Amino acid sequence: MAGRGKLIAVIGDEDTCTGFLLGGIGELNKNRKPNFLVVEKDTSITEIEETFKSFLARNDIGIILINQFIAEMIRHAIDAHMQSIPAVLEIPSKEHPYDASKDSILRRAKGMFSADDFR
Amino acid sequence: MGVSELEESCLSLDEKLLGFMEQLDVLEQKRAALNSLIEQGWFTMSKARYSMGNKQVCALQYASEMEPLVCVHARKLDDGNVEFSTERVTQSKESEKDVRLIEDIGPQEKGVRRRNKPQKDITEKGANDKPSSEKATEATPVKQRDHSHQQDPLKWFGILVPQSLKQAQSAFKQVIELSAEIATLQTAILNTKQELRNSMKHKHVLQEEISAAQLDKAVN
Repeated sequence: MAGRGKLIAVIGDEDTCTGFLLGGIGELNKNRKPNFLVVEKDTSITEIEETFKSFLARNDIGIILINQFIAEMIRHAIDAHMQSIPAVLEIPSKEHPYDASKDSILRRAKGMFSADDFR
Repeated sequence: MGVSELEESCLSLDEKLLGFMEQLDVLEQKRAALNSLIEQGWFTMSKARYSMGNKQVCALQYASEMEPLVCVHARKLDDGNVEFSTERVTQSKESEKDVRLIEDIGPQEKGVRRRNKPQKDITEKGANDKPSSEKATEATPVKQRDHSHQQDPLKWFGILVPQSLKQAQSAFKQVIELSAEIATLQTAILNTKQELRNSMKHKHVLQEEISAAQLDKAVN
């Protein structure tokens, strides 16, 4: 492990996880807990949400990458996360291209230009 | 006095808004680059899957022991922003370590080794020598095992992998670096948004104060 840096976690479909693990982000810690979750057809939303929350709670994770279609399933949990570390990044998946209007960061930024702000 | 303060606040608000727009523009560009790199990665990975077989490039091939080859440093800046930067463990460093390990093994045993020792020496020294020789033999495999965890993830999928899988790996390496930059930008955007909100509130307060003062003047 290089220095005492933080990890990058991934929640995504098989190809996304395989790609990022090829890139070298994968880790299995002492408790054999991985920093990634491969979401398959039979993966429940509860499991995804619990994994996301466990990644938020871990202090060795700096960035969480999540496929946007999976982020849509647990939108409430992503919107509730207001801290800058770990940063949550929504990425496209093979079947679902990236849609900026769904991104929670851009939606927050867009909220800047509501009628209330320009009162 | 109040009017000039209002003007200053308006100017700073304009500056912040322009900065905010610029940040959004850069974010959009980086997002586009990230998306195209990910697509490229998937495409080359699919090519590799086509040539290697469907089950050769899947989650079942992941190693049972993994150590990260890249980590991210999050540094809090004075202006409240957080800067994310990636650091990669280079393979050259690893190979240097390996070479040092091999070189260290030889010179540890100093002096000339006698093959035909007298029986006395063996019985006397036997008890003392055994633990140290065992230590030496035990120490090296442990080091090697530690090192093997940090192997190149390409090797999970075979020794001779196609070029397309290597291309997929390099695309995802770039994606990882870009994602750190995007994370930095995202936090900066949220901070700028908060600053804009605060200065907007300040401007409204100033406007109300000025209009109240003008009303007072008119009444008097």
